[in-house]
Formats: sequence, structure tokens, C-alpha cells
Amino acid sequence: MSTGGSTTQPVFDEASRIVVAAALDAQVPGASDLGAVAYVEQLLTALDHDPPRIWAAPEASGAEWLELGAWERAAWAQRIDAMRVAYARVAAGDATEADRRMLHDHACEATYGDPAYGGNRDRGGWQRIGFPDPMFPPARAAQTVDATPAEAT
Amino acid sequence: MTDADCDAIVIGSGPGGATAADVLTAAGWSVIVLEKGRNHLVDLDAPHDPLRHLANDEIALVHRHLLGPDPLLEPRTYRRSVEDGDRLLTGEVNNLPSTVGGGGFHADAKLPRFREEDFALHTTRGPIDRADVRDWPISYADLEPHYAAVERIIGVAGEVGTNPFAAWRSSGYPMPSGPDMAMALVSSAAAERAGLHPYRAPTGTNSVEYDGRPACVDCGFCGRYGCPIAAKGDPIASLQRMLRTGRGQVRPEALVTEIVLDASGKRATGVRYLDLTQHPDAPVVELRASRAVIVAGGSFETARLLLRNDLGGDLVGRNLTYHFQTFTVGVFADDTGGDRGRDVTHLHDDLMIDTPELRAAARQAGLPWLRGGVTEHGSAAGPVDEAAMYPGGAGHLAAMVDSSLRRRLWVLTMQGEDLAQPDNRIDLDPSVRDAWGLPAGRVTYRPHRHELVASAYSARVHEAILADAGSQAAFSATSPPQDHIDLHGDISPIGVAPASRHVMGTARMGHDPATSVVSPEQRLWDVPNVLVCDASVFVTSAGYNPTLTLAALSHRAATLLAD
Ligand SMILES: Cc1cc2nc3c(=O)[nH]c(=O)nc-3n(C[C@H](O)[C@H](O)[C@H](O)COP(=O)(O)OP(=O)(O)OC[C@H]3O[C@@H](n4cnc5c(N)ncnc54)[C@H](O)[C@@H]3O)c2cc1C
Ligand code: SF4
Repeated sequence: MSTGGSTTQPVFDEASRIVVAAALDAQVPGASDLGAVAYVEQLLTALDHDPPRIWAAPEASGAEWLELGAWERAAWAQRIDAMRVAYARVAAGDATEADRRMLHDHACEATYGDPAYGGNRDRGGWQRIGFPDPMFPPARAAQTVDATPAEAT
Repeated sequence: MTDADCDAIVIGSGPGGATAADVLTAAGWSVIVLEKGRNHLVDLDAPHDPLRHLANDEIALVHRHLLGPDPLLEPRTYRRSVEDGDRLLTGEVNNLPSTVGGGGFHADAKLPRFREEDFALHTTRGPIDRADVRDWPISYADLEPHYAAVERIIGVAGEVGTNPFAAWRSSGYPMPSGPDMAMALVSSAAAERAGLHPYRAPTGTNSVEYDGRPACVDCGFCGRYGCPIAAKGDPIASLQRMLRTGRGQVRPEALVTEIVLDASGKRATGVRYLDLTQHPDAPVVELRASRAVIVAGGSFETARLLLRNDLGGDLVGRNLTYHFQTFTVGVFADDTGGDRGRDVTHLHDDLMIDTPELRAAARQAGLPWLRGGVTEHGSAAGPVDEAAMYPGGAGHLAAMVDSSLRRRLWVLTMQGEDLAQPDNRIDLDPSVRDAWGLPAGRVTYRPHRHELVASAYSARVHEAILADAGSQAAFSATSPPQDHIDLHGDISPIGVAPASRHVMGTARMGHDPATSVVSPEQRLWDVPNVLVCDASVFVTSAGYNPTLTLAALSHRAATLLAD
């Protein structure tokens, strides 16, 4: 697993990507087809962007992402560091019970959360359960995680 | 005092603080509101339009702490009693948003008034063993003009005459009720067949354009989401009014750590706060107020601040009350329509009323009386929340398509009156600290038997109503849970700690300094120019959503202060 952090550089190498996708699909079948790995990669690299890709801004605001406060940024850095360690365990086949709960959360968020976050590709998660599009969606232009696997490290 | 920065400092910008700031600036005072959270609500530059930061976005609002607090920065702890040791869990405990606008921003704003009896429970119903039941030092009549005032300021939509138990009122609602959720009509009809009296909930969401803000369009992402179009008035309306006087300021990212006293120790001269725009070293800023310091951090943080400053006496933090919530859940064959609409459009008060049935239930349980709480007819769950409730695995998609916990769900939620008990309290955790090294607040809470009996009674009544309304299955759960305590409460939809966001009673008002923290004017007995303007001052929890009452109390206290 790469620890690299640019948006255009995905987080997972090919082997890790396959394991992580399977782990997400084990929680929510079809999650990876709907972009769950891209969702995770966007989250793990969120702070490489300015503004960070943590909170999508509403379409009406004209921006794509909201700014974080200085302390919020620090908290997210800590949280993302912990997630990176957890995903390294997942990729190595050593997921703990807590890791599986994280995978469950991420698979649910990726499948049924707003497409702005990189998952729910083409609103496919919503469509498969008949969930209507929101009246006031966030901006969704920024699904830019490159699907090319990272160099193995 | 000539070197003061303002007449009054208000700590906290939620419904309590915003209301006080509005009243004081209208009376000509200069006011600085200090808010530890960030600002996503209102442009602090004129003309103070709403900020457009919010979308119908479950990930940002529900899962990623957009409106704060981030539990990594501001952990809280919880235990049921001292037998749990120092704590049972650390993390999110009754967190209300920490942001400009506080929890009002986030709420779906059912805003009922209390009734006359709620202010005189000791007189009307009498004491209960092991609970500290008291009358309030003020009556409904004292508060009525302030209820009317805050209903106008916030903009409450409601109708008069349909709730037979409602207290008298001097005026109608400023707006008619908004559209009904279709399923609320079905559950209300069943409640009526059971002899109950449902009515359209008074809500702080605009049913028509009001005060320059648009009507609600029933987007379906209401409770736990800020409104993308500012159709909720609480508390943006108060903040805009006070900012537009030119005498009010709001400073976000300003965490008040200290209330500064003069040499006598009996008068506050200002506060010190940490400027959280700076990281990692947040500088301390001192601000001076010539007349008053108003604490409105919400009942949890207000108690924590007073405790850290050793202000208010030994009762601070004690008699913490929530609403003991009983969720009676019905699963229906068809969609209930929770995807759209506000979360709740109908209420009934019947289980608050002294009826022969409740008297019999009380007698049977060996209690002198029994009061449930207001009951909300509603449903709302985003698909991510729903998905998180089903176990992972092959059956997950089928469960989502079947959607028994969202599309086909309808819930009667009773906000049960929670009796005050001195051992239920907020204090300072002995070792957990926040990001700034300050002791975390710790909840110690266990419901009284009264709450459990009332909850069981409501479950029977409400399960029968949902069955009559056509549910395929109906069951009840409480928060906090009473049977199985799962230490992995982070994956439970309700969790281990009380899920109620109605937090009250930690700095009670009264006539006697020996049994209260603040006077009837909401002044600290030991430092009278410090006022508490939030639900901390509640003497009883009353089984009604608290926000209109805390705003009315804040309106009253600030009006008396300014006079
Ligand atoms: C999802 C949801 C739904 C709800 N629905 C309803 C409802 O329908 N009806 C109802 O009546 N109530 C409802 N509530 C509860 C309602 O939000 C609260 O009762 C209300 O917000 C309390 O107002 P407050 O001003 O006392 O405190 P808060 O709203 O908690 O505001 C206090 C503010 O003070 C700030 N603060 C605290 N300490 C400090 C400090 N030391 N320095 C600087 N700032 C500080 C906090 O960051 C916060 O922003 C709901 C709450 C939630 C979360
Ligand atoms: S339901 Fe209405 S008040 Fe609530 S967030 Fe949507 S538009 Fe705003």
C-alpha cells in the first residue's frame, strides 16, 4: 500500500485494491462497482486538496468543497492517519473487528451517500433502492480519483 | 467602566444565547457573542444573509461532523453510575452541534410550549421518592408574554384550538401549520380511535415566507441537517436581528475557558477565550464587559464551564435531566413517505395528562403519579444511516430494497419526562481531556423507575396504535437502552448513552440559594452579573421539547436585565 497522497495518485496498489474492494463488497455487495474504493481513496487523500475533500459544498454556493478550521484539519489528519493504518491491515488480510466496522461504515457511505464523495457512481446506489435525488444536492464535479493503481511500495 | 469591549458578553450562539443577544442589542446594549464552533449559518458582514454552506448531505452533516463538535477534539464521557468506574465510554455523548446557531441550526424544530402544570409539579402532583421534584420559581403566566415574543421572532407555524390540553395563549401563531406528512394523518387517525388527541406540531419551520426567509419545501433532510434555504428560524432570525442593529458581533472559533471576576469575586468583568483560528497554539484573548456575562453554552457545556471556574456552588451539574425517549417503531407494508417532509408533523400530549389510566398504572407500580411525554409522529432516516443498521453481508442489498427501517418505518417517539435526581449529573472527567487540555465533561445518568414505568405504559399504548394504523410489526426501544448494554454502542443506532439531545437542569433556578444555582432572574447566586440563559435552569424536564421554553426564559431574563 502506498502512503502517497496526491489526488491523482490513488492510494492502493493493484493487489491492495483487489483485497480492499472485496472487503467492502463483503459488507455491501456491489459497493466496489459503485465506486467504493474511489470513495475510500478520496477520503484518505482528502487533505491533499485545498479545500480538503471532507465536506462537499452545496451547488448553490458556487464552491465544490468547504474549508476546514485549523483544529478540524488537525482532527481529520489524525483520523485519516488511523484509517490508513487500518486499510493497510485490511490490504494485508489482517482486518480487526474494528476495521470491519470501519469497512461497513465506508461501504454504506460509499454506496448510499452523495456521489460527490466518489462513491454511488451515477447515483446507482440510490437507484437500486429507489431513493429520490435530493432537492439540494452538494456539488458533484469533483470525482477525480484516478482509477490507475498506485505503484507497489 | 470605560475600558470595556462591550456591555455584555454572551457565551454560546444557540437559541438561548442568540435570544439574549437579540433582546439586549434591541435595548441598546453592545454585545459580543463568543461561539467555540465555526460559522456555517449567517454572513457576519452586512446585510447578514444566510451562508449557503448546507446541502441535503448525509455524509457531511451526519457522519463527518460538519456542524461540530469533532469528538476527537472534544470528547465526552459517560457512565450509568459510580459502579461503572470512571467511565463506560468516551466519545460522543449527547453532542449538540457546536457551531454558530448551536443545536437550533440542526433541529427540525418542534416548538411546543409547556403547560401551566409543568411549572408547579410539586404542588399539583407531589413528591416522588428518590427524585427531587420541585416547583419552578416562575409560573406559566410569567413566561407567556415571552413565549409569544419568541414565537414571533423565530417564526413558529402552528394552529390554535386543536390540542385540547394546550395552555392558554395571548395570541395566535404567527404562521399557519405547514403541510401534513401523509402517514402522520394515518397514525393520528389511529391515535384518535384510541381516544388520544393528536394535533399539528408547532414548528419553527416557515409554512409561508416569513421575515424575509422562504417557506419550507419539505426537502426531507430536516432534523440533524441545517436548512439549505434558511426556512428554519431558530436561531438565524435572532442572530440576524441582533447583527443588523450594528451593536452585536459574533466571534466564531472563540472557546471561552474562564469567566474573569473582580477582586471581590462577586462580579464578573469579562472572559478569557482561546482563539481557535490559530493552531497549534491558540492564543488566549481577554474581553471585558461592563455589565454582564451571559452563559448559554447549552446545559452540558454551561455546567462544564461553571465547574471549571468553580462558580455557581455545589449544585452545578447535578439534577441533569434528559427526555427518556421511547421509540415505538411500526413497520408497514407500504412506503410511509419519510423521504420527504419535515421529520415530524403531528404530536399528542395525552400521556402527560393526569388521566384515570395513568393513575391506575402509577398505583400498580407503587408510584404516586406518572407522566409520560409529548409523542412525535414521524419518520426520517437517510439511506446511509439505514444501511449502517443492517448487518453487512449477502443480505444487505435485499434489506435495503425491503427497507423495513426507512421507507416502511413510522415511529411514535415519546419524549418522556425525566425526574431530577441529584446523582444524575455532569462533572469533570478525572483524566480525559479535550484538545486544549481542559477536562472533558462526564455524564453520570440512570433513569428513575418512574421513567421506566411510563415508558412501558407508552409502549403498550403506542404499539396498539401502530397496529391499528396497519403496521405489520410494532416494537419499542428506549434510549438509553435498559436491557442489553452493548459496549460497541458505536454501531448501535441508538447507542449506550442517552441519545436525547434535550439536555436540561444542570444549573436549576429557584428562590433559595441552598437548593438552586440561579435566581428566578437566572443570575448566579454567587456572581449576580453572570446569567445562565439555556435549559440548564430548568427545574423539571416537563416532557416537552425544550427549545421554545429555553428561548422564552432567555428572552425573559434578558428583558429583566435590560430594564
Ligand atoms: C437533531 C436534533 C433535533 C432536535 N429537535 C428539537 C426539536 O424538535 N425541538 C426542540 O425543542 N429541540 C430540539 N433539539 C434540541 C435543541 O437543538 C436544543 O434544545 C437547543 O439547541 C439548545 O439551545 P441552547 O442555546 O441552550 O444550546 P445549544 O444549541 O447547544 O448552543 C450552545 C452553543 O454554545 C457553544 N458553546 C458551548 N460552550 C462554549 C464555550 N465555552 N465557549 C464558546 N462557545 C461555547 C456551543 O458550541 C453551541 O454552539 C434537537 C437537537 C438536535 C441535535
Ligand atoms: S424540511 Fe423544510 S425546513 Fe427542513 S431542511 Fe428541508 S426545507 Fe428546510
